[in-house]
Amino acid sequence: MFAYIVRRMFQSVIVLLVVGLVAFSMFRFVGDPIDNMLGQERTQADIERLRTELGLDQPFPVQYFKFLQGAVQGNFGVSYRQGRPVSTIIAERAPATLELAFVSGFLAITLGIALGVFTAIRRQGVAANVIMTISLIGVSLPTFLIGILLIYIFSVELDLLPSFGRGETVKIGNWSTGFLTASGLKALILPAITLGLYQMTLIMRLVRSEMLEVMRADYVRFARARGLSDRVINFRHALKNTLVPVITITGLQLGSIIAFAIITETVFQWPGVGLLFINAIQFVDIPVMAAYLMLISVMFVTINLIVDLLYYAIDPRLRVDARAT
Amino acid sequence: MTDTIETPPPAPKSRFDKFWDSDFAWSYRHSPVAIIASVVVVILVLAAIFAPLIAPYNPFDPASLNLMNGFTPPGTPNAFTQDTFLLGTDDQGRDVFSTILYGMRISLFVGAAAVLLAMIIGVILGLVAAYFGGWVETLIMRIADVQLTFPAILVAMLIFGIAKGVTPPEYRNEMAIYVLIIAIALSDWVQFARVVRGAALVEKNKEYVQAARLIGRGSIPIMFRHILPNVLSPVLVIATISLALAIIAEATLSFLGVGAPPTQPSLGTLIRIGQGFLFSGEWWILFFPACTLLALALSVNLLGDWLRDALNPKLR
Amino acid sequence: MTLRKSAIGLALLAATGVQAAEFKWASTTDPQTMDPHAVNSAPVLGFLNNVYEGLVRRDKDMSVEPALAVSWEPIGDGEGWRFNLREGVTFHDGSGFDAQDVLFSYQRASGEAADTRSWFAPISEVKVIDDYTVDFMTTAPNPLFPSSIANWMIMDQGWTEANDATVPDKETGNYATLNANGTGAFKVTTREPGLRTVLEPFGDWWGEAEHNITSAEFTPIQNPATAVAALLSGDVDMINPVPIQDVARLQGNDEVEIIQGIEARVIMLGFDHQAETLKYTDDAGKPNPFRDPRVRKAVAQAVNVDAIMSTIMRGNAEAASQLVSPAMSGYSAAHANRPAYDVEAAKALLAEAGYADGFSFGLKCPNDRYLNDEAVCQAVVSMLAQIGVTAELDAMPVRNYWPELREDNYDMYLLGWSPGTFDAEHPVRFLVATPNEEKKLGSWNFGGFSNARVDELLPAIQSELDETKRQAMLDEVTQIIQDEQVYVPMYVQPLVWGTRSNVDLTQRPDNFFLLRWVTVN
Repeated sequence: MFAYIVRRMFQSVIVLLVVGLVAFSMFRFVGDPIDNMLGQERTQADIERLRTELGLDQPFPVQYFKFLQGAVQGNFGVSYRQGRPVSTIIAERAPATLELAFVSGFLAITLGIALGVFTAIRRQGVAANVIMTISLIGVSLPTFLIGILLIYIFSVELDLLPSFGRGETVKIGNWSTGFLTASGLKALILPAITLGLYQMTLIMRLVRSEMLEVMRADYVRFARARGLSDRVINFRHALKNTLVPVITITGLQLGSIIAFAIITETVFQWPGVGLLFINAIQFVDIPVMAAYLMLISVMFVTINLIVDLLYYAIDPRLRVDARAT
Repeated sequence: MTDTIETPPPAPKSRFDKFWDSDFAWSYRHSPVAIIASVVVVILVLAAIFAPLIAPYNPFDPASLNLMNGFTPPGTPNAFTQDTFLLGTDDQGRDVFSTILYGMRISLFVGAAAVLLAMIIGVILGLVAAYFGGWVETLIMRIADVQLTFPAILVAMLIFGIAKGVTPPEYRNEMAIYVLIIAIALSDWVQFARVVRGAALVEKNKEYVQAARLIGRGSIPIMFRHILPNVLSPVLVIATISLALAIIAEATLSFLGVGAPPTQPSLGTLIRIGQGFLFSGEWWILFFPACTLLALALSVNLLGDWLRDALNPKLR
Repeated sequence: MTLRKSAIGLALLAATGVQAAEFKWASTTDPQTMDPHAVNSAPVLGFLNNVYEGLVRRDKDMSVEPALAVSWEPIGDGEGWRFNLREGVTFHDGSGFDAQDVLFSYQRASGEAADTRSWFAPISEVKVIDDYTVDFMTTAPNPLFPSSIANWMIMDQGWTEANDATVPDKETGNYATLNANGTGAFKVTTREPGLRTVLEPFGDWWGEAEHNITSAEFTPIQNPATAVAALLSGDVDMINPVPIQDVARLQGNDEVEIIQGIEARVIMLGFDHQAETLKYTDDAGKPNPFRDPRVRKAVAQAVNVDAIMSTIMRGNAEAASQLVSPAMSGYSAAHANRPAYDVEAAKALLAEAGYADGFSFGLKCPNDRYLNDEAVCQAVVSMLAQIGVTAELDAMPVRNYWPELREDNYDMYLLGWSPGTFDAEHPVRFLVATPNEEKKLGSWNFGGFSNARVDELLPAIQSELDETKRQAMLDEVTQIIQDEQVYVPMYVQPLVWGTRSNVDLTQRPDNFFLLRWVTVN
């Protein structure tokens, strides 16, 4: 068991290193930060000097190695654009993204499970089919378009909800929260729906198909034969047994909510790390891009690792496999 | 069989009849959603293929454009040129109807090619991983991890960026479409690989594979002749749903400005251009391409949905 | 019950912030620093003009007026300029302003690390005469010097030294990157880069307040559609810019107003004058037709600028005949005509130059730099197709664009130029003079155009004190540029801001937004 964990973690570190190297090789093609940092009246000499100062004249493996050296010590460098430590900037922006991800994840899970159960139980019903079709419309439109349409309807035409930003925030320690003010909560609604819609559809369909499978299982048929009420069968037996795969997939999906937040944050001008990343691309702010990609990778790799270890703990067959290989 | 003149045998069932009577076809005939969705898909695909014959204009030919035709509303004559366009014109004076037909061509081509490529990569790597196990499997699945680590959109942006950097500038526009295909495919193959590997792991230990191995068949024939056919139906389902996702991914990439060039717009590029006119009253520039995209993605999704249920005998 | 209700009411009121004099505005870019000498870019200088002040400043009509200097006069026969400083001015932190601060700011802004260094190229020495008199000695007579330093902002020597920010640092930043201490009408109270910046009026400002705002909050919103939605829903009071296509729609809305003007920026097409061969498409490697002025003229006649202005720019632009707009000093009124749109004439010119069958080439274009830049380039492509010339368009974000132009990866390109000095000499120095790294000439002359007469006239223009003689020389340069068709100037970019209808403000042609001219009714 211990050897497996160690090996698995070692692999994860390699994965991270590869991700970093790929990311760094990409930065050369994103563009040139120099023109954003110098004004109209710059000369060629200014350009060369700044390039040397930033270390951009060095080959990218060298730049990457320097970045890693710092990153190991928790130092991600200084943003070209803002002239402040990247770690500070990300710490400032993280609460916005995490709160948005939390709310949309919550929406996706609760609504997804509820609608999934409903559509499974009433499989032939009109309402269930309508829900299934509408949910498909949700995944058949690109996220950015849904966001823009929501803004158009609810902010511009109906004037009910704010069109951008987080509203008023309250600082608790280093954490700025939008949960405690009316405007903060209102500002959350549209982005959370935009971001959560896709995940909700996914969870709903997963719950539905798992439920349908479980309801064909022998023990459910027996339970029915024993004369248990539909309610007990649906919730105590069927739903409970669908939850294991649902939780796994949901766990993996929560990671991608944070990644998908890039597009939602751009449309709603939500001041989180996704918007930070898009801005960083726009201004070729290499330290910010590198730090963001590394953080996202760490997050995904950790989630992957946990899921794998959980499986390993739960499923005895895998243990044999692990020993065999 | 020589003296059966009085009672001729029932004509041997044609392939079509066999198919018609199969559970699969039965399920299709009894699903109005599947019928409507497939009809829509067929119409759209035909319209895309025959775009040069159907479209009244060629939007890719700059010499045919007249800027003064710009922003003509649907069905009303332009104030300067008196030209009328069925679905109006965009900011360059391009006929929206023709652009949609040509744009859908690009979107469908990119989507289908990307899914095909992803499927080939994913199926092969998934089979190889499951069949050989050991370090081969570890390597492939870790690469899949790296892939999953990066959100699909980021992977695509990354590949796009690198490709733009390494292609000589004069070929960039021609390359854009192929780069899009590779970018989407490379962000999408993991799903196929995972499913195929999972299913193949189960099949691998079944008697028929063991038997094939005992009689000395090589690994490649075993993988492709014996295991592959048994994992095809989940692959088909994923492929259908991936097609819808690929079309949307192409739209999103084009929205982020890394997709098809505006001189040869895909549906996504059209939507990106159109969304700039959402508040200005020229709704048709966004509305019609968006509807086309919705119709296309929705019907492909519905087909995929039906396919999943139809191919899963447990649900019947 | 009523108590609770009013508490909720208060909370809502506080949340929506409907106090008359709170002002919120949004623009596409966040000023990247609060340091007035670190980055010479319009978003930074425009924003900091609210916080810092220079010796002189520009009024609503761009005319130069006294600010921290009450008056200035030339020294001797053009040896330099003497500035008499304003007395009784304090910085936001309470310390006083005097000649030492001016000298310090000169050293800071002209140092190696400063992005504003080029403004001080003509200066040989700065002498402090007394606490409120400073002399700027110039290497040659320089009539334009006072108006060229309107954006040179004065920092407090004590504050800057105490906070270890004596050298501007755009790479890693220092105290002055995030904090500001100027003499201006507003002081920065909160600075969250990329999120919001809050300003409050400075109580001890020397000038008379013309505004009625108690606090002002700036938010960067990149997505133009989001910004328009925010203005329409009243989330912000002013946005800059308004997308051109939304102007008509917003004009029809009672709650918002559109403020339009003409910016100083001229949008033009540029050519590769140097390369022997074309670089793109099927004709790559064939001789470069753009070296022939007749071909450049043909391009100028093939582009239907009126059509671009009426559709893509929706009637919000002005045609341009030369590299500066008529509002700039030194504009050549004698050369106000641009080549007429004439497809036949253009074809004839091409045939005369030996390209009767046309040719194909690569056109580079930014897609996030100028208003509707990509759409304009597309239109140019289809217009050139009418004379049988095939352009292959490659549009890209500006972060890739400048490196591409620097590496000469184009046959033809799009460029916008706004003269920082509001004078016709500026584009000649940067865009037309033969590139010369040492003399800092022609640094944006990507195509490498070179004309001995222009190079000879430029220094003379720079030091000529007599208006009429100077204009005559500028007219001659303009004549050469037009004859040679060095560039194809197309139009002057419009300036469009949107406000809530209860807001009064002043729009300056340099696209600077000054809070001290804002009234919220």
